[in-house]
Amino acid sequence: MNKLLSPAKTEVLFMGNEAIARGALEAGVSVVSGYPGTPSSEVIERLAEVSPERNLYVEWSTNEKVALEVAAAASFSGLRSMCVMKQNGVNVASDFLLHLASSGTRGGIVLVECEDPGALSSVNEGESRYFARMLEVPLLEPASFQEAKDLTKWAFELSEKIRNVVILRSVTRMSHASGNVICGKLPEKFRTARFISDGSFMDPLRGPVVSTPVVVKHGLQQKKLQVATELFEKSPFNNYTGPKHPELLIITSSACFLYSKEAIALLGLQKRVGILKLGCTWPLPVKLLKKYLRLTDKIMIVEEVLPFLEENIKVAAMDMLKETGIKTFYGKMDKTLPSVGELNPDLVAAALGKIMKVKPKSLPAGYLREIQKVAPLIPPREQTFCPGCPHRASFWNINTALKLDGREGIVCGDIGCYAMASLFPAIGFHTVRTLHSMGSGTGLASGFAKLEAFGLDKPVLAVCGDSTFYHAVIPALINARHNKADITFIVLDNAGTAMTGFQPHPGINESAIGEPLPAVDIAAICKAIGAKVAVSDPFDLEGTSKILTSFMAERGSLKVLIMRQICALSPEKKGKKQFQMKVNEELCLGDNCGCNRLCTRIFRCPALTWDRIKKKALIDEVICAGCGVCYSICPQKAITRTETE
Amino acid sequence: MKKHVLEEDLCTGCGACVNLCPYQVIYHDRTVQLHHCDLEDGNCYAFCPRTPSDLAALKKLLFESDDLTTEIGAVKGYYFSRAVDPELRKIAQHGATVTALMELALFEGLIDSAIVSSRDQEFIQNGAIVNDKIEIRKNAGSKFTVSPTVAAFNRVATEDKGNIGVVATPCQALAMAKMKLSRTNEDAAKINQLKLVIGLYCGWTLSAEKYTKLLLEKNIALKSIIKTDIPAGKNILELYTNNGAKSIPFDEVQACIREACLYCMDSTAEYADVSVGSARFAGNWEEVRQWNQLIVRTKKGKELVDLAVRRGVLEVREAPEKSLKELKAAAVNKKKNALKNIIRKSGSVKNLLYLDGCDPVVKKYLGVEKRLKK
Repeated sequence: MNKLLSPAKTEVLFMGNEAIARGALEAGVSVVSGYPGTPSSEVIERLAEVSPERNLYVEWSTNEKVALEVAAAASFSGLRSMCVMKQNGVNVASDFLLHLASSGTRGGIVLVECEDPGALSSVNEGESRYFARMLEVPLLEPASFQEAKDLTKWAFELSEKIRNVVILRSVTRMSHASGNVICGKLPEKFRTARFISDGSFMDPLRGPVVSTPVVVKHGLQQKKLQVATELFEKSPFNNYTGPKHPELLIITSSACFLYSKEAIALLGLQKRVGILKLGCTWPLPVKLLKKYLRLTDKIMIVEEVLPFLEENIKVAAMDMLKETGIKTFYGKMDKTLPSVGELNPDLVAAALGKIMKVKPKSLPAGYLREIQKVAPLIPPREQTFCPGCPHRASFWNINTALKLDGREGIVCGDIGCYAMASLFPAIGFHTVRTLHSMGSGTGLASGFAKLEAFGLDKPVLAVCGDSTFYHAVIPALINARHNKADITFIVLDNAGTAMTGFQPHPGINESAIGEPLPAVDIAAICKAIGAKVAVSDPFDLEGTSKILTSFMAERGSLKVLIMRQICALSPEKKGKKQFQMKVNEELCLGDNCGCNRLCTRIFRCPALTWDRIKKKALIDEVICAGCGVCYSICPQKAITRTETE
Repeated sequence: MKKHVLEEDLCTGCGACVNLCPYQVIYHDRTVQLHHCDLEDGNCYAFCPRTPSDLAALKKLLFESDDLTTEIGAVKGYYFSRAVDPELRKIAQHGATVTALMELALFEGLIDSAIVSSRDQEFIQNGAIVNDKIEIRKNAGSKFTVSPTVAAFNRVATEDKGNIGVVATPCQALAMAKMKLSRTNEDAAKINQLKLVIGLYCGWTLSAEKYTKLLLEKNIALKSIIKTDIPAGKNILELYTNNGAKSIPFDEVQACIREACLYCMDSTAEYADVSVGSARFAGNWEEVRQWNQLIVRTKKGKELVDLAVRRGVLEVREAPEKSLKELKAAAVNKKKNALKNIIRKSGSVKNLLYLDGCDPVVKKYLGVEKRLKK
């Protein structure tokens, strides 16, 4: 049985995301939507697995804005719904979120956003907690795996009490770590959808769902926040642990609660430092805050990444100055804690130790010496494309075309596995020049291409993945076409949303739960936009670079080259080799003039290894994916390939 | 290392660095480095005519010291020559000497294949590898854009074990001479396949991109051009097309010259077995335009010319004194100009880019420069 469906009262080891999913199930959620984004994707994946049994509709939408709209429709129809995304997905959904928060909702709707402090799997460490404050909706942050479940379940109740969307915020170390969770009951009845909209204009439950009249609705929205605040004052999700009279009060939320607990233990400060853990972080429960601010004058705020809590608490503290007195705040703003990057128990302990004038026990000298001896032996590893990845071949072709063209073309990158070509230039053969958000590569290219009038006369290219194409690129492509921006646009079509775990997208003819769906054809869309379209297999190095070179030489029109080859990790390919690859040592020139290790030094597939003793290339048969591309690049034809049966 | 040549506009497009490895390719008439190679003393650097060369060692290896002149290299003999066959003279350039000699070498089995510049309608040259008379004649005639002939040589020498003859510009002849100093057995075996180098007089080549643009501006269809020439004494480029003769003022053509040619000291292909040019004797152009100047430099070259005369393929006669004098003067002029341009580019007399300040020829003409400057 799927552990997500475990019976009530059982204790299960859940990943944070699984706990959130379980919480949604216990709340009787009916519709779940989202867009793949690390560290949030598992919430939807797990719910998709149990969707038939739980009468769930689970959808991977084209982008987060559409996903939120899909979830909102369910809420307007009286169902409970959830929308899941990573931190910057909220930025994409924010226009609709602004209006949704104003119009109000009906069935409970929770926006789960999982953040990535330190950008372990992102190209930003943006903070989306501020959206709660800016768009005036409640914000909840679980600080344990049990809370991840319980708080999610309660979020739906809260949402229905105030008839507005509730944001639940997680972080990588909460979403992707695991802990024991005691399950609650799964509901037996399922709701029916009914969309009533013919009532009076001002009736939030029976009238049309609109954000107007704006000022009136805004006032109602703020009243809803006050209701939420009242509930927060008494919520069990905000609690204090520590001495009655602490010298220092730590106020914290989310995973930072766990770091703070550990830091206190590391320094032995249990009798001197107390922790106020907030699970409801916007609006701040000010009465509760006042109670604990009275305990001491030294307050340390532990959070990541931006000083969201710190700023809000300081404002509240100013208001209650007369009653609670002047406080000394330690946090990010005074640089007690680093202002960027992820926190961990060591960083918190170091800061805490400085404030409390306690030194953490350092590692024994002998142990430190051992570490220093071993550390240089650890081989440095860079991120790279998988063996057999079509992107390696694609960027090889792009580099060839750029060099032959000779005008120093500009390549704008985008988000996906191929983003690594920007992050680790050597694996993209030093071609990509910009990297921002989903679809921004094409928009930037559309802009660069119009600068010829200002003296920037270079070929402009943009790359994007198949999933990214549907998410955000289409408007930019239309812009390029309509404004006569002469760009060569390359779609790296590997038949899936690979970077986040190979989820399907509108180009794939199946749903989140593997049911057949009609695929929307990228080539057809580009042709309809009016572009000149070609499709090529990037593994055909010669053929593809030829097309690309000629596209770049053609001036005055929008050219689209779809480099189509399935991801090496896709179910069709994984574990199956098309070719058996081997290096003929007698032909291999190694590091001599005539080759100088083209395959291991430049092409750098992980399966191509360098035998330092024999001074020859060697194929690691275990990780070789058998794609056969390296056969085409060896100048001596020393790499042989034979078809496997 | 090669970046110092490619990025510094010193590359002549000779092709010596292509087909040795996967890093350099020729595209249109540009030498492109596809990836970065970190070898400091690779063959590309060793063979490139625009990297430092041990010219003294080369001269010692190839020529007899008595024959050496400072102006035009080794001279065993200096003649006017032309192919005996008038049909051949019609389709080739001036006296058709190059074509006649290469045809003979193939016919007599001295070489198994010849590498000549190809007649590509779009001036995109790849070096034609020919094995018979018909193919050679198809490609006869001077081209004014560069042909990456040495790239073709590199390829043939790898794929084939036969003997090879090459028609080479001065930079290409120098590159192949440098290959003779090679270091490994494999490299030596390849260059040993080279049995004959017929050098061409050369003042400059044109960038295909710029030249094509110019011709389009003049409404001259590329496909219609049969022959190109620079008549002596006139400041024009003469084009013989399907629609009659057309001419372009020389200063417009000058703008299309490859920058690398400005830094070249060699106008007569000093590192070849024989060198061939137009019998440019300004006074009697109409008379001598059907003749070539021929410099015989090596024993091998002499043997081939003697054979050609014996076989009745080539007509050779004494060249007028004036012609040799004029040739030497023109050659010296090019050397001086090259040094002037090099110093202008490097910014200092001490930095001669790829040339060696201690080389006697360089020193001589540098000295002239210095004296003139004073």
